[in-house]
Amino acid sequence: MTRPTLAQQLARQGISRRAFLKFCAATASMMALPPTMAPAIAEALGKRTRPSIIWLSFQECTGCTESLTRSHSPTVENLIFDLISLDYHHTLQAAAGEAAELAREQAMEEGGYLVLVDGSIPVADGGVYSTIAGMTNLDMLAHTVKDAAAVVAIGTCAAFGGIPKADPNPTGAKSVAALMADGSIASKPLINVSGCPPIPVVITGVLAHYLTFGTVPELDDLGRPRAYFGDSIHDRCYRRPFYDAGKFAKTFDDEGARKGWCLYELGCKGPTTHNACATAKWNMGTSFPIESGHGCIGCSEPDFWDAGSFYKPLSAATGDLSGLAGGAIAAGAVAGAAAGLYARSQKHKAAASREKMTVDDLKD
Amino acid sequence: MSPSLERGINAFVNQIDGPIASYFNSCVHCGMCAHACLFYTETGDPKYTPIYKTEPLRRAWKQNFTFWGRLLSKLGLDKKITDEELAEWETLIYDGCTLCGRCTAVCPVGNDITYMIRKSREAMAASGHAPEGLKMATTRAIEIGSPMGVTIDTLKAQIKHTEKETGLTVPLDVQGAEYLMLLSSAEIAQFNEIIGAVTEIFDRAGVSWTLSSTAFEATNSGIQIGSADLAAELVQRIVDSAERLGVRTVISPECGHAYTALRWEGPNLIGRSYSFEVKHILEVLDELRADGRLQTSGRESARVTFHDPCQLVRRGGVVQQPRSLLNMVADDFVEMPDAGVMNWCCGGGGGVSANERANPLRAQVFSRKKRQLDGLQVEKLVTACSNCRNMLEEGLEENHMEDIEVVGLTELLAEYLPEKK
Repeated sequence: MTRPTLAQQLARQGISRRAFLKFCAATASMMALPPTMAPAIAEALGKRTRPSIIWLSFQECTGCTESLTRSHSPTVENLIFDLISLDYHHTLQAAAGEAAELAREQAMEEGGYLVLVDGSIPVADGGVYSTIAGMTNLDMLAHTVKDAAAVVAIGTCAAFGGIPKADPNPTGAKSVAALMADGSIASKPLINVSGCPPIPVVITGVLAHYLTFGTVPELDDLGRPRAYFGDSIHDRCYRRPFYDAGKFAKTFDDEGARKGWCLYELGCKGPTTHNACATAKWNMGTSFPIESGHGCIGCSEPDFWDAGSFYKPLSAATGDLSGLAGGAIAAGAVAGAAAGLYARSQKHKAAASREKMTVDDLKD
Repeated sequence: MSPSLERGINAFVNQIDGPIASYFNSCVHCGMCAHACLFYTETGDPKYTPIYKTEPLRRAWKQNFTFWGRLLSKLGLDKKITDEELAEWETLIYDGCTLCGRCTAVCPVGNDITYMIRKSREAMAASGHAPEGLKMATTRAIEIGSPMGVTIDTLKAQIKHTEKETGLTVPLDVQGAEYLMLLSSAEIAQFNEIIGAVTEIFDRAGVSWTLSSTAFEATNSGIQIGSADLAAELVQRIVDSAERLGVRTVISPECGHAYTALRWEGPNLIGRSYSFEVKHILEVLDELRADGRLQTSGRESARVTFHDPCQLVRRGGVVQQPRSLLNMVADDFVEMPDAGVMNWCCGGGGGVSANERANPLRAQVFSRKKRQLDGLQVEKLVTACSNCRNMLEEGLEENHMEDIEVVGLTELLAEYLPEKK
């Protein structure tokens, strides 16, 4: 039996060609590809047979899977997901025990498959903190990645270690990238789709890119697709004009908060966080956290859990800065204050010598 | 003291605040603003690149507020701002910019270039480098009460005329009315049908409204020439009258820059918030439509399109309202390319139309609007700004496209009011 193409499968499931093209156009624009790419994406995706995907879940909370599959009623996004051959997924597969592991082995036989990982991998004490079917997570990952075409680390735990890796990290949790770097697993093309959880359309967009072009999309220095992680939340935040105007909410229930002013002083991590929340948004494009009145917690960045309080402004110190660092900061502060005072005195001088304009000034 | 270079340079320094400093710091010189500006796209001359129009302001910032700039300035190695230079920039800042806001909308780092040019005008006016036409318009606005020299007597004559034509009373100085309607002098002098249209619509909708004999002029020449002091005086006249009459809402008429001046700049100019709301006439009409108070009968069969006044869509966010209103009456409504938030400017806003020297340039850049209209095959071009309307009528005439009729949306709606019961 030949596998049906994606286009055939979609038609069978009642997804119109128009809806499919809309998805392709949205994907093209999200990934900053020219609009003329949409038909190419549609053509490539439409012809594809279902590629084999093995989804491995390690030290995780299933939030990433929830984000993708349970977020809203069936859409082209999650049908696309139905239409890759998801051959192994703890949460979603019907098979259990040996049958499940057999499915993984069979999918691996063909090679050229994609491995999606969510969760970090514990390596302390021989990896005993998390085992599946008698195998440690590390062994299962090493075994599965060996013949993979590429690996996608879904979520901050897989991409950067996430909450399991947070201090004091009792299980010795590591990210997929860290394991590739230290040689514990084979090095393969790796895409980090970080976020706690990642935005569903970012996951499907990355898969669509891979299926269309057969290549890994352009990545940033942290291995994340630039198309989605190129801008900071702050750059694209609708509250940015208030930041520019110096209007900040000081508490969560003050006048400023009610007026929708910038949450920077309440600890918003938007300026240092790269993700597509402010543009792609959540819950079928309804909103993103800042729109509901809470600052960004920086979940798509490395070590977000250890980066100090979610409610302390970014400008506040997070660690012990005594000694030399303290001196340097003091010197910097003095220099900054002096520059600020000088600028202010320039302004005062200008303001003092300003003369009110009258209509007589307009007459020659 | 009369305007002088010294006063102008001082004004440049005075205009620099946190946002301006961060804008200059963040500019990445990408040039996207050039392609957003019709003065650049229609002339191809790079001097019309919006951010380049702020060059004197940038130099003032650099020489006074940055380390290297100050150092070079102390050593006498920098280029001082001169009168000759300001004279050159006068044509860029006043003739080659309508403050339409397109450059701001495309700037990838979020610089409000329009605001930077608006601020530059403060220093240009203080240094005596403002166009003659704008100086005269502003003088008339302050001394006579309207930039075109329209007086309350002219308005009273128009009121009498309207009352005779409609058989309705046009309320003037009615204490405690809900709305205070302002007008632009172009509406009083040229497009006076608007007074009848508003009177009829408000009568059918049962709206309590009034005109004011102490504040009938909505436009603000002080902002266009760039004098916060004079602009504040003009805003204060409206605020005083509105508060004296005790109205809840002041309606800015079919004029774009008047709306920006009163709604967005006004409170900052007078240094306090208003005790009333400011809405554009289209916002008020759309609210009446949504409440079922504005009803129409019959449909317009002519093919129509809508020219978005720049200040309404880009500075004011009034995008959907004209479309909802047009759909009440128009059977064949087509959008022009780039309609809505990024619609191209008429070429005459922000004081350009008051500046005769800019006429040839204005006629040249109308080619953009012409291209937008080409191929639409419309019979009517609807808009909601009397200045746009003037510019469109002139532009169409010059391009032998007079068969397209230009109408104000409020008037169009008034034509389709149901018969009075």
